[in-house]
Amino acid sequence: MAETIGSDRTCDLFAYIAEMSDKSAKIFVAGHRGLVGSAIVRKLHQLGYTNLLLRTHAELDLTRQADVESFFAQEKPVHVILAAAKVGGIHANNTYPADFIAVNLQIQTNVIHSAYLHGVKKLLFLGSSCIYPKFAPQPIPESALLTGPLEPTNEWYAIAKIAGIKTCQAYRIQYKWDAISGMPTNLYGPNDNFHPQNSHVLPALMRRFHEAKVSGAEEVVVWGSGSPLREFLHVDDLADACVFLLERYSGLEHVNIGSGQEVTIKELAELVKEVVGFEGKLGWDSTKPDGTPRKLMDSSKLAALGWTPKVSLRDGLRQTYEWYLENVCAASK
Amino acid sequence: MADTTGSDMKPGSFMSEKSAKIFVAGHRGLVGSAIVRKLQESGFTNLLLRTHSDLDLTNQADVESFFSTEKPAYVILAAAKVGGIHANNTYPADFIAVNLQIQTNVIHSAYTNGVKKLLFLGSSCIYPKFAPQPIPESALLTGPLEPTNEWYAIAKIAGIKMCQAYRIQHQWDAISGMPTNLYGPNDNFHPENSHVLPALMRRFHEAKVNNAEEVVVWGSGSPLREFLHVDDLADACVFLMEKYSGFEHVNVGSGVEVTIKELAELVKEVVGFEGKLVWDCTKPDGTPRKLMDSSKLASLGWTPKVSIRDGLRQTYDWYLENVVQKQQ
Repeated sequence: MAETIGSDRTCDLFAYIAEMSDKSAKIFVAGHRGLVGSAIVRKLHQLGYTNLLLRTHAELDLTRQADVESFFAQEKPVHVILAAAKVGGIHANNTYPADFIAVNLQIQTNVIHSAYLHGVKKLLFLGSSCIYPKFAPQPIPESALLTGPLEPTNEWYAIAKIAGIKTCQAYRIQYKWDAISGMPTNLYGPNDNFHPQNSHVLPALMRRFHEAKVSGAEEVVVWGSGSPLREFLHVDDLADACVFLLERYSGLEHVNIGSGQEVTIKELAELVKEVVGFEGKLGWDSTKPDGTPRKLMDSSKLAALGWTPKVSLRDGLRQTYEWYLENVCAASK
Repeated sequence: MADTTGSDMKPGSFMSEKSAKIFVAGHRGLVGSAIVRKLQESGFTNLLLRTHSDLDLTNQADVESFFSTEKPAYVILAAAKVGGIHANNTYPADFIAVNLQIQTNVIHSAYTNGVKKLLFLGSSCIYPKFAPQPIPESALLTGPLEPTNEWYAIAKIAGIKMCQAYRIQHQWDAISGMPTNLYGPNDNFHPENSHVLPALMRRFHEAKVNNAEEVVVWGSGSPLREFLHVDDLADACVFLMEKYSGFEHVNVGSGVEVTIKELAELVKEVVGFEGKLVWDCTKPDGTPRKLMDSSKLASLGWTPKVSIRDGLRQTYDWYLENVVQKQQ
């Protein structure tokens, strides 16, 4: 299938920007309370979109086909951003694999199909970098999809997300319907999961340094050597990229959304320590495993379309820590 | 995940429960109808069968109430949207979405309504385009898929993974079988859409009836292919229901390869076409070899019984009675 981006589709591009410039168009943001969905809602509000269609899980269970169908038939949104998913860390994926694959497949199939049937003009499907093979080349280009075995600890979720990308592509081919997919790198920011056991490395570090500061601990010990390289993107940048893609991209292939900026785990830990203001020692337990040596998405395709991230890691960490203090700490008192 | 095969397996109870209610989804298709024949032959008396108009498996609420009303003990999921290259290319959304819906609905409702065991059927197209030959089960997801059927393949892969996920999370007995190229009664003999074996059978038959001088087949005739009669597949399905409760999917093949040339000559002979068989070597051959590695199934103790010559004869008899006669 020929890609349709950039100069090949000037007329459609202008038509599309015109679509998105209608700030009263009804936009359904599925999963609006999660890390990604809430950032997208913030961004849309900032940009002046006044007609956001939002439903909590209790109001609309996206795994119920009939409910999703009648919702779309009634509401007829113009655009859909599908950020609703069952997500979780390694432990959750390992313990509840049926939920991770089935719930995500149901949500995706229901929303994509009903959106198409009820005249949605454009749908953006969001996935994750875990769709890529465990041993993908670094940086990971879009073309790495399905070229090798998945990381076993999240293969259930990954298969569901891959099926989502393929469903969007299939609807584009068969119906000439505008469905696109964006695959973000590691995200962080407000509304992240700071759970002591289940959180990812960045919020985990933030919580640990904060608790060490508050309790006057002498040292925080982090597992590994600190040398693995990781990429992080602030979720507000992701939201910005999503709006950008809705305006400017109508291609078959999914699009990687990364910052292109790597840090070592050591650099990350030192930065978080500084932002949190922990003045004790940072120790490394090199007897513990490091994890994969490098994980970086190749976001050159998105860059070629003209998008760049705006939130530096330092600024992003500061903003996230402030949110953490107001929303997690204050709330737990 | 450790596989549960051989001496680790639970004792089979399927064959001892001849009155257990068995839902065969897709009972009118090539695979489903063969499974129904085999189950009836084996003495199973309580088959639960629903046509598409009786029960649309893509409708979540209907599937849920069907399972909660009927409460089958066993499920064989042979219902799918299938088709050839042209259909897959033209209706990719249908191929991926309908199959995902059928699978998700049936697997989930079967689990929540106390089904004891489910067998999910797929296809050899789940494997990478450049998988090693013969293709072992371990080739799954090790490389890019064949683009012409990737929509169907992704759906089937998701089905295998769903069965595995339900086994892990719920300790529920769901298994998957992946057949090689099938042929037999109820196959698709459509002049444009059929696979190579029924296509050859139809062409030789029509050439015989029209007294044509020759039949021209594309390619050199040298590619190697494997075929399994659908009655053998059905036999393997009953065998797996009885004896296999493993995590990994199981290839179901004959292990018997023929060149396209050998196949064409055999079909010509079985049909009784006496004209010439000519090869148009300017046309493409397709992939040089496609053979499943069925050693896992063989080591469980299953072997196919239908030789290709006998299978072709039986299929031609069926074709004459059911396709040719119906047109007259």
